[in-house]
Formats: sequence, structure tokens, C-alpha cells
Amino acid sequence: MDTLLLARLQFATTTSIHFLFVVVTLGLVTLLVGLQTAWFLTGNPKWERLTRFWGQLYVINYVLGIASGIVMEFQFGLNWSGLSRYVGNVFGAPLAIETLVAFFLESTFLGMWIFGWHRLRRGVHLALLCGVALTAYASAFWIMVANAWLQHPVGYQVRDGIAHLTDFSALLTNPTLGMAFGHVVAASLLTGGMLMAAVSAGHLLRRTPDFLLFRTSLRIGLVVSALSISLVQGFGFAQFGPVGQVQPAKFGGGPERDAQIAEWTAQFGPGDYTPPTLASVGLGFMILIGFGLGCLWLLLPLLWRDLIIRWRFPLWLLLLALPLPFGTVILGWLAREVGRQPWVAYGLLPTERAVSAVPAGVMLASLIGFSLLLGALAVTNWVLLARAAARGAADPALGRPPAPEADDTPRQPVLA
Amino acid sequence: MELAWYALLGLFFASYFVLGGLDYGVGLLLARGGTPAARRDALTALGPFFLGNEVWLVAAVGILFGAFPTLEGELLSGYYPAVVGALAGVILVTAGVQLRSRPATAGARAGWDRVVVVGSLLAALGWGALLGGLLQGLPLTADGHVTGVGHLFTPFVAAAGLAMAALVALHGATFLTLRLPPAAGAATARLARRLVPVALAAVGTATVVGLLSDRVRAAAQQPVAAVLLPSALVAALLVARAALARRRPGWAFAATCAALALPVLLVGAARWPYALVSGTDPAAGLTVADAAASTPTLRLLGWLVLPLVPALLGFQAMCWWVFRGRIDGRAPVYW
Ligand code: HDD
Ligand code: HEM
Ligand code: HEM
Repeated sequence: MDTLLLARLQFATTTSIHFLFVVVTLGLVTLLVGLQTAWFLTGNPKWERLTRFWGQLYVINYVLGIASGIVMEFQFGLNWSGLSRYVGNVFGAPLAIETLVAFFLESTFLGMWIFGWHRLRRGVHLALLCGVALTAYASAFWIMVANAWLQHPVGYQVRDGIAHLTDFSALLTNPTLGMAFGHVVAASLLTGGMLMAAVSAGHLLRRTPDFLLFRTSLRIGLVVSALSISLVQGFGFAQFGPVGQVQPAKFGGGPERDAQIAEWTAQFGPGDYTPPTLASVGLGFMILIGFGLGCLWLLLPLLWRDLIIRWRFPLWLLLLALPLPFGTVILGWLAREVGRQPWVAYGLLPTERAVSAVPAGVMLASLIGFSLLLGALAVTNWVLLARAAARGAADPALGRPPAPEADDTPRQPVLA
Repeated sequence: MELAWYALLGLFFASYFVLGGLDYGVGLLLARGGTPAARRDALTALGPFFLGNEVWLVAAVGILFGAFPTLEGELLSGYYPAVVGALAGVILVTAGVQLRSRPATAGARAGWDRVVVVGSLLAALGWGALLGGLLQGLPLTADGHVTGVGHLFTPFVAAAGLAMAALVALHGATFLTLRLPPAAGAATARLARRLVPVALAAVGTATVVGLLSDRVRAAAQQPVAAVLLPSALVAALLVARAALARRRPGWAFAATCAALALPVLLVGAARWPYALVSGTDPAAGLTVADAAASTPTLRLLGWLVLPLVPALLGFQAMCWWVFRGRIDGRAPVYW
């Protein structure tokens, strides 16, 4: 096996793992802001308990988001050094902005939010969570700016074989950015909402205590997922316009594709410029599932008089449907990323020129090592998540009040 | 302009070694075993700062990618094994610390603690080896690429890795001396005093091996800095020892912070004006100016960084202020 194939496999594996976690992060953090705001405004302890329970699941999920994200970030330099060499001047900027604007603050705020219960004023504590949510959206936005640039390079000029930035605003108005960002955010809300609905359904089916609590989160989760599936569909179809225009070789044939391939052959020499069919397969299944999930709307009327809970089988449906959004986001990314082949930066930098000059054996070891490491951690993380979800909202560790104990030892100054 | 960005890059990496070093130091010290309660206290002492510490690495690599793209690619792929080792360690620590308290059984928690120990060791050895590798130069070819990874396996790189592990362990111990309740703090103070000679020996060995190595001597572009900065590192360790003996843990901690920041300064200053030194063909080295992104990119990022960095530092300072002081029975516990 050659280094290129191994590097591509490694990127596909690690990003897929990363995305399975961040899609939940983005969705749940939005719902949590709603829950904690309701607690702040009403002071009703029900909302506090909901915030603690869902917050606990959110924080466990977050762990793997960070761990896999760090691998993603290093992978560009480790395996794709040609990417930074030829297009780093342009592609690097949104990534640098992302780390400084988003991740840095996000982690700092999250640490304070986790440890700030009972220590910070409630308004400050809520503000921290809002900060976490805003920075999470910012990180999704900037990574999509970077990804959209790879899909359709704009705002640059090539001098001495290296791309230089000429117009940053073109990166922000990239036709492959807007609808894709909306689609990703809507898919995240859908996933977060379906997770909330499914976990609540599990508790209602097992008739655990806290009926009222899980009834509330079932309703929130269901309404949010129904609204977001429509957004997902809307943004999804809206992507066909720009994609067909700037990436004629991506899905399907036609004269545009032939013209594009003739142009590339003239410019870069003969080669195979059609993307693998995997891209169109991914697209097809995603759209199929996307229409199927539209049935979420049919469950909404059953909220009337709690029919959805009394009939029970809708709860089973929600539970069984939970893997669908996760599988679908991977299909969607396969469509987008495999459809970009054989380019790293569409029509500008062929994938094989971007890969690092690392021996294949080393690359294979790193592929196996990171896949096993992240895979094992991902499975462990889901097991811990499932256990925490099953344990219920009786006393999550997150936000547990400290033991009442007198503290009268005076604080010492540090540098004394 | 490149110098300013190089300094900012150094600042972020140095902050990462100081703050991330806390995480790995506390992590390494979990290897002492101790009661479950003692291990939990150590992690509670670290608790609120942990996420904010780790993210300095993410930000440092972000700056590296944005402002020095060419360096990013060649640095990470050129030192592949060291970077991958450190990265695996970072991931194990990140996951281990945050997940160890989710299972309720003591056995599972002890298992996760071992994951944290292994991860901390890997991270410290990996970053130490990377710094050592940078000081020793690498076989850059005329077209600016590095092929192969064998150049990394030298005694100096190994010594640098071990020195980093020793420094990090000492750093963790001085931090716990400051943060744990007085009785437990006194015990870690004794441990820290015993770790100072270990760290001195490890740093001394790395220095001597480096002085004996042709490659390291040839790679040093600024001999004055290459001699002065290791001496400053030794001085910092001596200050730490004196402060521990006089029961001034705050000063000891300040000294070990300096000891973890100095290697970054050493790597930056000793090789100036090069960002990567070529051992095979001196002319093939990558200078800082050549490694930097082109002017429009740097200018764009500059407008962003100027207002942002004070805000970033401010929020981190807020975190340290809110959770300052020794932990006690009322300290928030999560991992
Ligand atoms: C829950 C997840 C989910 C669901 C139900 C759908 N999608 Fe999707 N889709 C994604 C999650 C996703 C994604 C993972 O978020 C992608 C990958 C890249 C992106 O921007 O969004 C994506 C990509 C993506 C692309 C590729 C864009 C490109 O190649 O640049 C198209 C054309 C669509 N979607 C269209 C649809 C349509 C017409 C759907 C249904 C009716 C649909 N998606 C449902
Ligand atoms: C948004 C940020 C992303 C960026 C900047 C990005 C960038 C890249 C790069 C540089 C490669 C390697 C070069 C190549 O093969 O073209 C790649 C490949 C790939 N990525 Fe992404 N990616 C992103 C998100 C994702 C996500 C979330 C997934 C989830 C499934 C994904 C799936 C893949 C796959 C499957 C490949 C391999 C394609 C192939 O080689 O055939 N990407 N991506
Ligand atoms: C291939 C490109 C990608 C890279 C290099 C990358 C990098 C990272 C890094 C380093 C982190 C950890 C930050 C921290 O320490 O807090 C992270 C987390 C995150 N990423 Fe990615 N990421 C990529 C793809 C994506 C995509 C496609 C999305 C969503 C559209 C995304 C959204 C997020 C979010 C929301 C977080 C924060 C929440 C969490 O950690 O779970 N990332 N990413």
C-alpha cells in the first residue's frame, strides 16, 4: 500500500470519529443553553436538574471531541505537509483563526462552567455556557470556511507555485460555504434533539422515576428534531445549486463534467479526474434517510395528551432511530469529501502532491495506532455515556453541591 | 514582522509547556499509587485549569499553521515519531483525566489513572525528544523536504526526552505543594525536594551529551544563547530547591515554571535565524523569514491577534483567580 492511500484512510477514519462527537456537541450545547436559561429565568429546580443531567452527558461526549480534534489538527502537518507548503498561506488562516477565536475560549469557558457550579453567580455561570455555545458555533463556522476553500479555492493568486492570499472576504462569501454551514448546523441540532428524545424515551419505557423530567425533555427533543429535519432538507437541496456550478465533476455526468475534465487534462496532463462512485452512493443514501426522518413530524401530534408515551411504540421508534443521524452525517461527508477527489484543493492541488514524504511503513503504523486508539476511546466513551444516561437524573456528578464543611483556614498569598 | 510572530509562537509553546506541564506532572505523580482519595485530590487540585491548560497546545499549533505553514508541514512530518508519541500521550491524558471519575468502581478508576500516567510519560518524552531533535537539526534536502525518520534516534534526543520528563514531574510536585491542603502539601514538598537533584542530573546529562555531539554543536547558530540558557535552567532549578527548603512554595513554583519555559527560548534563540537547521546541507536550512506566511496572511492574522490575545489571557487569568488558593473540602470536584 502506498503512503497516499494510507494517509487518506487515516484522515477519513479520524475525521469521521471526530465528527460523530462534535455533531452531538453542537446540538446538545444549544439545547443546554435553553435549559439553563429557563432555570435562570424561572428558578424552577426542574430546569436545574435537566441542565445537570444533559450537561453531564454533554461533558462526557466532549472529551472525545477534543481528543480526536487534536489528532485532526496535527494530521495536516504530519501527513499532508504539501497542503501547508502549497496552500498554507490561504488555508492556514481560517484554521489559525478557529483555534484562537473558538477553541481557546471554548475550553477555558467550559472548564469554568464545569467547576463553577455553586461557586460563581448564576448569571456568570449561564454566561459561561453561552460563551461555550457561541465559540462552538464559531469553530464549526471557521472549519467550514477552511473546508469550503478546499472544495472551491477562491481569493488567492499563485506565485512561484505557491498560493498567496489576495482577498479574505472571498473566503467568507464562498458559494460552497453558506448552505453547507446551515446544513451542518441543522444536522447537529437534529442529532442533538434525537439523542435527547431517544434517551428520554428509554427512561419512559423503563418507567424509571422522574417521569415529569423525561417527559419534558422528550417533548423538547422531539420538537427540535422535527424542526431541524426540515432545515436539514432545505439546506441540503440548496447545496445542489452551488455544488453543480463550481464542482461539475462531483455528482453525475453531463457536458459540464466533460468540459471540466478536458480542461484539467489540458492543464495537468492526462489522468483519472472522475471521483469514486462512493461519493454518489453516500449522497443517495443520505437523501433517502433524510426523507425518512421527515416522518418525525408525524410524531408531533402524538404529544397531545401524552399519547406518544401511553402508546409506547413511538418511544421504541425513537430509540431505534437514534443511529440514523450518526450514520447519515458520515454519508454526507463521504459525498462531500470523496466527491472532491482527486483534488485536495479543487482544481488547484492534486491529492498526491499534498501527502508528506513519510515512509509507508511509518504511515501504516500511525494509521493503525490512531485508529485503534481513537476507536477504543470512542467505544469506551459511548459505553460511559450510555451508563450515565441510564443512571438517570437522580444525582449527576456535574454540579453536585460540595459537602457542607466549615472552612475557616485563611487563604495564604501565593508568593510569600 | 516575522520576528514578532516567531516570538508569539514561542510564547504559546512556552505557555503550553508550563501549563500542560502541570497536567503531565500531576499525571506522572499518580504513579506513586497512594490512596484513591489522594489521587482524587491531586486531580481536584488540577481540575478547573485542566482544559484551559491543554488548549494552549491547540492554539500554538494553530498559530504555527497560520503564520508558519511551511515550518508546520516540515516540522511535524520531519519529526514524525516524536510528534506522534507526544500526540498519543496528550490524547491519553485528555481522555483519562476527564473520564476517570465517570465509572464508580475503584478498580476502573485505578485503571484510568494508569492511562493518565502512561499518557503523561509519553507526552513528556515526546515533547522533550522534539525539542532535542530541533536542537540537533535534521537532514533537510535542497528542495526543503525531510525523508526518513532515523535521524531522530540519537543519545541526545533520548536524553532530552528524559530531561523533560524529570522537569515535568518536579513541576507537578511544586504545583501540588501549592494547591493541596497544608498536610498533604508538606508531603509533596518533600517529594519535590527529592526530585530537584533528579531534574538537575537529567538536564546536566542532556547538556553534556549535547556538547559532545557534533550534530548538536554544528546546529547551534548562536553559541552564547546555547550556553547561557541551559545555565539559566540550572539556576532556576537551584532557586526551586532553595525556595522549597525555606518553605516558599510560591517561589518554587515560579522557578519550575521558568524551568519549563526556558527550553522553548533555548530552541528559538540558539538556532536563530533558522527555524529548521539542516545537518546535511547547511544552505538547505529553513530560515524563520522563509518559513513565515506571506505578508497579506500575516497582516490579516495580526489584526485579529492584537485585540484577541489580551482577551484570551484575561479569561485564563480569570479562571486562575476564581479557583485560586489551596483546595479544601468545599472545592468543586468533578474529575
Ligand atoms: C443528519 C444528517 C443529514 C441528513 C438527514 C441529510 N444530510 Fe446532507 N449532509 C450532511 C448531513 C445530513 C452533512 C454530514 O452534514 C454534510 C457533509 C458536508 C456538509 O456540508 O454537510 C452533508 C452533505 C450534503 C451534500 C454535499 C455537499 C457537497 O458535496 O459539497 C448534499 C448535496 C446534501 N448533503 C444534500 C442533502 C439532502 C438533499 C438531504 C435530504 C433530504 C440531506 N442532505 C440529508
Ligand atoms: C471541515 C473540515 C474538513 C477539512 C478541512 C477536511 C480536509 C480533508 C483533507 C485535507 C483530506 C485529505 C486529502 C484528500 O484525500 O482529499 C480529506 C479527506 C477526507 N475527508 Fe475531510 N476534511 C474535513 C471534514 C471531514 C469530515 C467531518 C469528514 C467525515 C466523515 C471527512 C471525510 C473525509 C474523507 C472520507 C476523506 C478521504 C477522501 C478520499 O481520500 O477519498 N472530512 N479531508
Ligand atoms: C478536519 C478538520 C478539523 C480539524 C483540524 C478540527 C480540529 C479540532 C480540534 C483541535 C478540536 C479540539 C479543540 C479544543 O481543545 O477545545 C476540535 C473540536 C471541535 N470541532 Fe473540530 N476539527 C475538524 C473538523 C470539524 C468539523 C467538520 C466540525 C463541524 C462542523 C468541527 C467542529 C468542532 C467543534 C464544535 C469542536 C468543539 C467541541 C468538541 O470538542 O466536541 N470540527 N476540532
